[in-house]
Amino acid sequence: MPNDIWIALIASAVGTFFIRVLPLIWMQRHIARRKSQEAVAELPTWLSVFGPLMIAAMFGVSLVPATMSTETWFSTIVSALVTLIAWWFKRSLGWPVFAGVMTYGVVTVIF
Amino acid sequence: MTSEDLSLPRPPVLTGVYDAFPLLGGYIPVAISFGLISTQSGFGILETILISALIYAGASQFLFVAMISAGAPLWLVISMTLLINARHVVYAPNLAIYLPQNRWWPWLMHGLTDQIFALALTRMAKIPEHTRIGWYTGAALLAWLSWIFGTALGAIAGEELTTRWPLLGEVMPFALPALFLVLIAPRFTSRIWVITLSATITLAFALKLFGYVNAAIPLAAISGAGIYYLIQKLEKHNAK
Repeated sequence: MPNDIWIALIASAVGTFFIRVLPLIWMQRHIARRKSQEAVAELPTWLSVFGPLMIAAMFGVSLVPATMSTETWFSTIVSALVTLIAWWFKRSLGWPVFAGVMTYGVVTVIF
Repeated sequence: MTSEDLSLPRPPVLTGVYDAFPLLGGYIPVAISFGLISTQSGFGILETILISALIYAGASQFLFVAMISAGAPLWLVISMTLLINARHVVYAPNLAIYLPQNRWWPWLMHGLTDQIFALALTRMAKIPEHTRIGWYTGAALLAWLSWIFGTALGAIAGEELTTRWPLLGEVMPFALPALFLVLIAPRFTSRIWVITLSATITLAFALKLFGYVNAAIPLAAISGAGIYYLIQKLEKHNAK
């Protein structure tokens, strides 16, 4: 690999790492300051709202089938419903996902 | 009984691994695709694996490889890669309130992907504080190693895998939307959250459909936050 590609790789990796870690350090100091002021250690409101919304956005994006067709749309909708129903009964992480993926596989094979 | 009194059914690291298992369904097919595309673009197997291990952010890795292959200037490759990853800035602050004091947290942030964030935000609050670093380590390590493993698979045997078992590549990725659905389902607890979450999901979905792939997540989340505050304001106004 040429030198400039190595530079690009290392710079991108280090930059991405900083994007992940610097906000942590900032927030930890923010929380520590709040505690030293005997205030309640809590997130700024906008941040506690934003977290779940990021997950919802990820869900929306990941729901779009990679290949657009009646079959993939149908598989996606049915599997999402099965996942939701399984979650309603099990209230856990693993089994609903498993049920959803299995349903997707079965529906895909059938069609 | 406070959450501190609850003990996990298995060691924290293993609980993290167990909870992160659904991520394999989403990670491995995409990693295989990346491994295949990277080697087809002229990168070697080791180089491809290093890109996955060190950058560890799917969309930006594909972009990185595409831009290098196209001969884009260095500064553009780096800045575009970091721009795509900019949304990660909100992840650690959200989790910071749950993290007990430990010198290892900064280093563990390398493992903070979209999916690990989604998982951690939901699970961290529900497990005892002293188990969280073990839980996170287990979950993040499984995800990271599966990403590297999938990349290696794709780089070495991607062609054979995709032609021999095309159905796997179609079905396994559904693990991610299924996981995200399970993670946000408990949040539909009030009118303001139902409206806000539904709007965010719909907007992200539409943006992706219309091709704004990388902007969809941050744009939808920011718009959702705006909707949340608008409704909150309206409700306060009506309460007067």
